[in-house]
Amino acid sequence: MEYILKNGIVYDPANEIKGEKKDVCFKDGKIVEDVSAAAKEIDVTDKIVMPAGVDTHAHVAGPKLVLGRLYRPEDSRRGVTQKTKNERGESGFSIPSCPTTGYRYSRMGYGTVCEAAMPPLEAKHTHEEICIIPNIDINPLTLFGNNWFILEMARENKIDEMAAFISAWLKITKGYGVKIVNPCGSEAWGWGMNVHGYDDKPPYFDVTSREVVRALAKANEKLGLPHSIHIHPNDLGHPGNTNTTIETLDSLKDIVKSNSKAASVRDQIVHCTHMQFHSYTGTNWRDAGSGAEEVAKFLNHNKHVTGDIGQVTLDETTTMTADAPMEYDLYQLSGLKWVNADIECETAAGIIPCIYSPKTPVSTLQWAIGLELFLLTKDPWQINLTTDHPNAGPFTRYPRIISWLMSAPKRISMIENGEVHNWAEKRTSLATLDREYDFYDIATITRASNARVHGFTDRGNLSVGSNADIAVYDLEPNNFDPSKDPEAVEKAFSRAKYTIKDGQIMVQDGEIVSTKPSQVLWTNVKGIEDQEKAVLDQVMPFFTQYYSVKWENYKVHDHFLSNPIRVDVEMEGK
Amino acid sequence: MHYANTYLDKPVVGDLEEAATEGTEKVLHCMLNTGSDIYQGACKKRGSTLKEEYKNASGTCYMDPRDMAALGVKNWDTVLVKTDYGEVVVNAAKSRDAPHKGTVFICKGPWANTVVSHETYCCSDPTYKGVKCTVEKTDRKVLLMADLMRWVYKKYVDETDDDVVENMESLGELPVYKGRKWEDLK
Amino acid sequence: MSYEPPITDYDEIVENCTCAFCGCNCDDLDYLVKDGHVVAVRHACRLGASKIMEDMDQRLIVPMVRGANGELEEVDWDTALDTAAEYIAKSVRPVFYGWSETSTECMKEGIELGEYIGAVLDNQATICHGPSLQAVQNAGYPIQTLGEVKNRADMIVYSGSNAMNSHPRHMGRYSVFPRGYFRQRGRFDRTVVTMDPKFSDTAKMSDKWIGFEQNGDYGFYNAIRAVLKGKKLTQNVVSGIPAEDIYELVEEMKNAEFGVLFFGLGLTHTLSKQRNIDIAIKMVMDLNRFSKWGLTPMRGHFNVNGFNIFMAYETGFAFGVDFSRGYTRYMLGETNTIDLLVRKEPDCFLVIAADPGAHFPNGANQHLADIPVIQIDIHWGPSTELADVVLPGSFIGVECAGTSYRMDGVPIYMKKAIDKPETCRDDEWIVRELKERVMKLREEPNVAPKYVPNPAAE
Repeated sequence: MEYILKNGIVYDPANEIKGEKKDVCFKDGKIVEDVSAAAKEIDVTDKIVMPAGVDTHAHVAGPKLVLGRLYRPEDSRRGVTQKTKNERGESGFSIPSCPTTGYRYSRMGYGTVCEAAMPPLEAKHTHEEICIIPNIDINPLTLFGNNWFILEMARENKIDEMAAFISAWLKITKGYGVKIVNPCGSEAWGWGMNVHGYDDKPPYFDVTSREVVRALAKANEKLGLPHSIHIHPNDLGHPGNTNTTIETLDSLKDIVKSNSKAASVRDQIVHCTHMQFHSYTGTNWRDAGSGAEEVAKFLNHNKHVTGDIGQVTLDETTTMTADAPMEYDLYQLSGLKWVNADIECETAAGIIPCIYSPKTPVSTLQWAIGLELFLLTKDPWQINLTTDHPNAGPFTRYPRIISWLMSAPKRISMIENGEVHNWAEKRTSLATLDREYDFYDIATITRASNARVHGFTDRGNLSVGSNADIAVYDLEPNNFDPSKDPEAVEKAFSRAKYTIKDGQIMVQDGEIVSTKPSQVLWTNVKGIEDQEKAVLDQVMPFFTQYYSVKWENYKVHDHFLSNPIRVDVEMEGK
Repeated sequence: MHYANTYLDKPVVGDLEEAATEGTEKVLHCMLNTGSDIYQGACKKRGSTLKEEYKNASGTCYMDPRDMAALGVKNWDTVLVKTDYGEVVVNAAKSRDAPHKGTVFICKGPWANTVVSHETYCCSDPTYKGVKCTVEKTDRKVLLMADLMRWVYKKYVDETDDDVVENMESLGELPVYKGRKWEDLK
Repeated sequence: MSYEPPITDYDEIVENCTCAFCGCNCDDLDYLVKDGHVVAVRHACRLGASKIMEDMDQRLIVPMVRGANGELEEVDWDTALDTAAEYIAKSVRPVFYGWSETSTECMKEGIELGEYIGAVLDNQATICHGPSLQAVQNAGYPIQTLGEVKNRADMIVYSGSNAMNSHPRHMGRYSVFPRGYFRQRGRFDRTVVTMDPKFSDTAKMSDKWIGFEQNGDYGFYNAIRAVLKGKKLTQNVVSGIPAEDIYELVEEMKNAEFGVLFFGLGLTHTLSKQRNIDIAIKMVMDLNRFSKWGLTPMRGHFNVNGFNIFMAYETGFAFGVDFSRGYTRYMLGETNTIDLLVRKEPDCFLVIAADPGAHFPNGANQHLADIPVIQIDIHWGPSTELADVVLPGSFIGVECAGTSYRMDGVPIYMKKAIDKPETCRDDEWIVRELKERVMKLREEPNVAPKYVPNPAAE
């Protein structure tokens, strides 16, 4: 089937197309140069056309999502809707059910989402959920930062072995890349403790966070994976953590990026996630302040780093992270119902509801720091729009964040009218920042950069041959000032005029018109099978003794894969 | 073919230290608990629920030996257990978990179901434990599962009188249905 | 007990099979197979072994429909499925109960049918750990995988749970006896406490038995919490336990490096129900101020947790989900099976991989005598005595592969070892067939003409 999107205003930062009036053609699920006269014409005259959105970091599928849903029916009830011919009933606000997740991303014009934390032992669960989520492709990142084997290999600085281990575990878990969460901290949480700073060690493991992160970064580049290491640094949410964040990122600048084909797409050696949570100054929440300026300055001078923001949206939401000790700290602060879920030899997780109120100083400070990071980082290619869904707010708030970024008057009025607490003004520079994003910048931080960060070439752009993942928004950019009308921006980005995924029209005029099963993307390293076998032989006695499942039952069987897209990485064997 | 055998006619219970006497009480007032034990679980999941095995595993009231002496029952005598929710005839046997004077235990199953409380108090779960009951000696027989289900629910009999249904011809220990046997299919 | 000689006559051993009994989901079973039959099983406990070495006399082999005279009659699959589909299609308040002994793959078919026709989907949690889930919704849920217990725990508490009877390998494989990474001496490195009014088989294996009085659980935990918060007990005896014993226990619990509370139906089935769990959870949270503590509900069936997880990711709610209005509703005490049956609401009851005849109170089951009951199961059981249509399924983890979730949430793919009896069908196939037949018989009710967003989610 051939289609032509006529006369849209196209924003395609990957091809440096900056609001040109252009037709976009696609055929059999791919973008093509031209189509025949038989092509179905879709008139989008003067409307915004962009590649479909790519989410760099969100929590949409897996065991902790389910724990959240299980214990927060109050959140599930918030989003309940009636089933229709095209849609099953929805549920949830911050932790929507799987079908709901797919529908809502689709309505916003998104096509690909990264599930940011998959514990290997429960990877099957993550994949089961991915199967249920419709309409979007998902690349899950496997958790490595507190894995006992990794900690030991890092201690002994065995990079080659570690690379083989990662390669094997990506195959076993069907993961896309390497996620690190509070390295060594979640292991310390096994004893109810945490690590403090980048050079601390967990009990019984003679290795520092720095050694683990550096080793993983080296192993990642040795393999030449499409994505860099994806790190949630130590000390999340603690006033004064800016130093830890910068120290962590700075410690990786000497690492040489792989020149493999897969790795050549991205620019970074490390992706730092939800930077907002890692950019605080001060010593406690009473004297806390913004470290955004320092962090942004670091980004502006260090091109080996990309990041996403984790923008606070000022909603009641559910926080969930593999940084379990941090969740326990939050529980101590708020006393709200607390979930913890430790996973043997691998990781931990914590969940707690969180009310980010614009009336409270801390929430407002976090909100302002996120926006500062957006506005102070010069190169939009280095930062991505996320809310670390659902941690700082649900992904359905992306359009609102876009409206804040595009309108300085809106931000100023929120501060001046007392819509937010005065800490925004007193403790951050937000009120003094008049930078406004344009649609090209927005397309960069929601599609183009995100795809590049993850090493995708087939999405996040409208190049010929790429997937026909396209979003059309009901705004006429040549005829409209987003700075003056942020509400219209939010509305348009919330309900795409068209969302097209692999050439199939999923959304029309903001409504789901069709659905398709999701696809899961995973990375398959080729060429070091012998090393993988050697490392498996080496870890097997330990596995047999200390895991609670049999090796045969540990791996993710092909049965669990939802229409997999295998990304092959060729490694030269030694 | 030789299969490993897991059938066990009766749960293993301890011997009573004293020989049974007439007893001192006609009716005991007790607290009834229900739940699973390993014998009940084993035959339930073996699928031998029509058989003596299940009747003896599930349809047995485990009692403190002092309570048994007071009532004058010995192992595998029958007792009638009554609550506000119904009554049932079950075996009596010495509890492996004794002492727990004043508390009796019947494994979950159709027998216990007739005497536990269906009240959930708005939390989905019936009250299976801590139900007040009386226990008395009886001459009535413990019904096999199929006979018990017929006696309690009477879904497929026209008769409504409890006593008549209780004394109908037993449905036995094998499935009763019209058609070919499993063996015929092989 | 007579001596049972080991089986030596077999063709092959199938290794690493997963036990389809309790929530331990032991995945290390070896089946000895001869001529396509499992003739013996290794590593399983008495419960697991007895399930796998099933009683073939009562194996459901051929579909059956209740005839006019009230007797079950064998029929072909088409007749049985059509009869069942008709019952479902005609009903206005169907309840699909069970699911805890089948795979999540089968549940997927079930939810499609349930959503289509507007049924209530509920599982055995409703009669076992439903109150635990309710308490989790009040208080929270600090858990850990069982391997974490094996490797770290130095204090194990069983409360209202007789693991030696209902989860016989739990102590041996996960919690008490195994040598863990930080507990190299196994049993000797751990303190085991059982809290139960009865001196249960688990208590007999423990270092300490706290025999609080019947219905005394709440008061007992309350006292522990008070002591944890630095209060002095004003009574000399609380729930039958002397105050000094409580002080001593609290000290031990505070000094544990890694403690775990396993709790069972002893807490959920007594009068205080969810409030018992609620306070036990809060006690564990309080303990985390002193050391590391977690808990795990001792889930009974091998996939009872799986259904709750499955429903949560499909619908946002764990069990007792009512689709009758075209959107998902979940209200404890209203949309749960026992309450529905006691109120005599359902007019059709599908029971799959469950046995209400054996496990529901009389007061609830009486309603099953008044309405059509469709049973999908592998054995003739008490529910068969109430069933109007009987559909013989297959045995997950032996005759059919499928996914299950262990009590701690670890997913396991249970593999197939032998072929099922020729005339049986996989549960997944049966439910899919029912779905397709119901769809032909009846148009989907309660479909909104247009998507209307929930304003609370905007």
